Amino acid sequence: MPTGRHKSRTFRRVFKRTPGGDTRMYYLKRKPKKAHCAKCGAVLSGVPRERPYKMKKLSKTQKRPQRPFGGNLCSRCTRLLLIEKARQGA
Amino acid sequence: MIEIGRICIKLAGRDAGMKCVVVDMLGSNMVMIDGQTRRRKCSIRHLEPLENVLKIKKGASHSEIAAEFKKLKIETKESKPRKAAEKPMKVRKSSEKSEEEKSAKAAKKQAKEEKKKEKKAEPKKAKKHIKKK
Repeated sequence: MPTGRHKSRTFRRVFKRTPGGDTRMYYLKRKPKKAHCAKCGAVLSGVPRERPYKMKKLSKTQKRPQRPFGGNLCSRCTRLLLIEKARQGA
Repeated sequence: MIEIGRICIKLAGRDAGMKCVVVDMLGSNMVMIDGQTRRRKCSIRHLEPLENVLKIKKGASHSEIAAEFKKLKIETKESKPRKAAEKPMKVRKSSEKSEEEKSAKAAKKQAKEEKKKEKKAEPKKAKKHIKKK
């Protein structure tokens, strides 16, 4: 029988094949939500979906697009914002 | 709207938000840009044209554009060409020694040989002496 905390679905279940040939089940913490655009709410691409300890291991360039507002706004919203700024200045 | 000398803002990629000048027209959609951005080919869909037009030649160099940008008080990033780091050259041990050391060694060798010759003459007696004992 699994222990009490493993009976609920707070942990995700991962099946892994061991070197011995049989599959074992592991209980792992769930991944966080996907990153979303702050303006329109679209799912951001180029932002990995990992727990903090794994994000810590990644380099800065692997964590978000190398663009102004990268990892915060989607590319479409960034473009609109830049166009707006350019036209205001002119 | 987009012509040679037109100042634009780049909208996409890592150079987004930077100002650049159209240097050359490449086909109907592509242009060559330079300025705050890297000198690169770019689609006109990634550019937002501004009011100013610079008087530059087709295919003007980066230094010319940087000078024009200075007049407009737009800072451009000057990237130096990378130089390979100077590594300490590995020197073989034989060539490492200077001539003085070589001569000193030769002198030592001679001295040793001389000693050997002297020893060759002497120790025979000594050995006989030991045997007698």
